[in-house]
Amino acid sequence: MGMPVLVHAPGAPAAAVDAVFAWLHEVDARFSPFRPPSEVCRIDRGELSPADAHPDVRAVLARCERLRAETGGYFDARAGGRLDPCGLVKGWAVDRAGALLAAAGARRFVIDAGGDLLLRGGPWRVGVRHPRRADRLAAALELRDAAVATSGAYERGDHVLDPVGGGPARGALSVTVIGRELGAADAYATAAFAMGARGPAWTARLPGCEAMTVLDGDRVLCTAGFARHRLPLRSSDCAPG
Amino acid sequence: MRRALAALVVTVVVVGLLVRYETRPPARRNPESALRTPAPIRSPAPKARPHPPGSVTGRGPLVTTPFSSIQVQATVLHGKLIDVKTLSLTGDDTHTRALNARAEPILREEALRAGSADIDVVTGATYTSESWRDSLAAAIEAARVD
Repeated sequence: MGMPVLVHAPGAPAAAVDAVFAWLHEVDARFSPFRPPSEVCRIDRGELSPADAHPDVRAVLARCERLRAETGGYFDARAGGRLDPCGLVKGWAVDRAGALLAAAGARRFVIDAGGDLLLRGGPWRVGVRHPRRADRLAAALELRDAAVATSGAYERGDHVLDPVGGGPARGALSVTVIGRELGAADAYATAAFAMGARGPAWTARLPGCEAMTVLDGDRVLCTAGFARHRLPLRSSDCAPG
Repeated sequence: MRRALAALVVTVVVVGLLVRYETRPPARRNPESALRTPAPIRSPAPKARPHPPGSVTGRGPLVTTPFSSIQVQATVLHGKLIDVKTLSLTGDDTHTRALNARAEPILREEALRAGSADIDVVTGATYTSESWRDSLAAAIEAARVD
């Protein structure tokens, strides 16, 4: 999955945290598009029929297909030309990891997968990173029992592809989606980012989710319920952008 | 050298190395500071799992960001990275704030702001991964030079 994963679970049994990381390694071995022996790579090479794959792989690929339909093709596990379900796998795996912690009795924890967060218990105060200024926040949120994912162009350059129009996604600087589960929130953020200027209107129709989109020109569009989660932001630096 | 290290780090990250952060309660040095600079927390000594003879272990610097501090230890054997540990991490504790409940139109437009707040964690933030990579790169270098 290619990123450090942070688990902050005060009071959770160490064995439960170990189980989380064992699970994430298992997911990586099975789903990594960068490991030739992984089931995802074998399916991509035509060596493994999806029907014969591990039940988790079948479930994830089926959900990728549903997401592709839900997003009008803007979430596409084959956007780059080869099978790469990472856009769903990361959040899906973190949701499962959260279930492992909850089953072990943890009631209040954060799993941070490269800036996409699963939050249980709370309240947690969450900063939304400014899309162009790494040391500033564009918003601050108070969340409880939520997942929040941000898709942007700032991490690895233009890493989100526009599967519909082709080429790197344009028009949005970042999209932050709040939902209940990280799998959906992350996939929706990726899709809305790929939609560019049309993303905010799409996010406004997502059931159970709220979103904040920063568009080119520093316009910010938030869904109706997004403000419910907001905390005051100190303008320690009043210069725009 | 720097480029080679960056490439190595990318390789390491791509193979799915996952960092475990210690889950101890964080400490605060200055509760009033806007973006706090927490005191580093030293994790307990890593489990005794001896590295093979000939391996070299190096530590990266403690990399501090507005949101966290992180230090990475890397062990290299015959030019290959064989072990990575995260040695320290700090965060913030949690304070309760009142929710701002307001009725809003379907999409609300506003100007982009650049501010700060007391927070526990960042979405879209790559500080964690950036700090981790920086510290890992330095740790690998240290292991090679030692």
